Amino acid sequence: MNTLGELERSVLEHLWAVAGPVTATRLRDDFADRGLALTTVHTVLTRLEQKGFVSHDEARPRQFRARGTREDHVADLMHEVLGQAGDRQAALARFVGSVGDDEVRMLRELLAGAGDDAANR
Amino acid sequence: MPGTTPRTGDLTVLPATALALGVLAALLAWPVPAALAHARWVRRDPLVALVCWQAIGLAGGLSIIGALLVHGLAPWGHSLPEAWWHWVTRQPALEPVRGDHWVAQTLAAVLACELLGVLLLSGVRTARTRRRHRQLLELVVRPGEPTADTETLLLDHPAPVAFCIPGVRPLLVLSSGMVEELDGPQLDAVVAHERAHLAEHHHLLLLPFVAWRAALPVLPAADRAHDAVRDLVEMRADDVALTASAGPEPRRTLAAAIVAVAAGAGGQLPAGALAVTGGAVAVRVRRLLAPARPLPALARWAALVCAVALLLVPTVLLVLPALL
Repeated sequence: MNTLGELERSVLEHLWAVAGPVTATRLRDDFADRGLALTTVHTVLTRLEQKGFVSHDEARPRQFRARGTREDHVADLMHEVLGQAGDRQAALARFVGSVGDDEVRMLRELLAGAGDDAANR
Repeated sequence: MPGTTPRTGDLTVLPATALALGVLAALLAWPVPAALAHARWVRRDPLVALVCWQAIGLAGGLSIIGALLVHGLAPWGHSLPEAWWHWVTRQPALEPVRGDHWVAQTLAAVLACELLGVLLLSGVRTARTRRRHRQLLELVVRPGEPTADTETLLLDHPAPVAFCIPGVRPLLVLSSGMVEELDGPQLDAVVAHERAHLAEHHHLLLLPFVAWRAALPVLPAADRAHDAVRDLVEMRADDVALTASAGPEPRRTLAAAIVAVAAGAGGQLPAGALAVTGGAVAVRVRRLLAPARPLPALARWAALVCAVALLLVPTVLLVLPALL
């Protein structure tokens, strides 16, 4: 299945795996089993660049590399979702918000207390 | 019809309307939200409370802008539509126009533009952030099992986190830490909770309060309203999750999941992001473990009638003089 989204994921994972700059032609050859046209590879790379996952240098031919590791991107996202900075609102429905240590202790006691009540009844 | 010999006595209608709207606006800017934020019955019926908050927000905006507009246009006619028409068509005022009329007109325009503009801006900004998060997730995470209505993604991260990204194709995200921390029924409860947010479009209920808190930072009620709505939305999602749960002790299961996640997240959080829920999590756990009686039907209806009345009063005040 060669949907654009799926291709983007495959190309990005490939760039993460090789961990060095790669030309578009080399990428096309690496994905030879999928029979991608060079224009398709360029489309995918451009889209990844627009989303901030890939950058290229000014060499000829252009070399593409991944910006940041998978872990970097996950960490960024988690920081946004967990932290108070920026548009935390966007991920409205975080299951439980941030809680301090004292409150955690109190919550545990609440839960334990309710368990005892149920057992005593 | 407008234009027939104006009787000066009639021109007292609009100032009286402006005064009534001003009083309503003052009530909605401070005492009413304060009372609702402190009310305890809201925990027994978060849905009705959410309806009340929406009515307060809408009626508050309507009455303050309406009061300013009516006062500003009072010299031009006997009713708002008539005065508005005279003003737009640049007909001479029926009464001398003072400086405060111009000030009120300007304030009404500025406030209306600010509230609507900020709402729009906030909506656009949130949509953009959601799109960015969705793109990132779709690239970083392999798609999970596609379910009937929502796609569930498993994010590789040690902190127990669950959230959803609303939209045309909503996304439900669970972290691997969450899956490790919770047992099967607890995880089901968490997923049911997030699904409830998506199914009932809670992000739309919250959006105006996010926007108006940004637009009116001087108004403590805006802050209070936002926090109250945010907490009520969580309680409502808890309630819906309970109805979807099949386990023997759904309340205890969900409460245990909340506590486990709260405890697990503590160590993983970036410094400075701690202790901001202001006890809202404890309230949720308490009402799960020791549920209060549901609100009697009569009280429910009374609250809903109040909410509708709150919206009708400014609307009627604005239009009524035209019908007299």
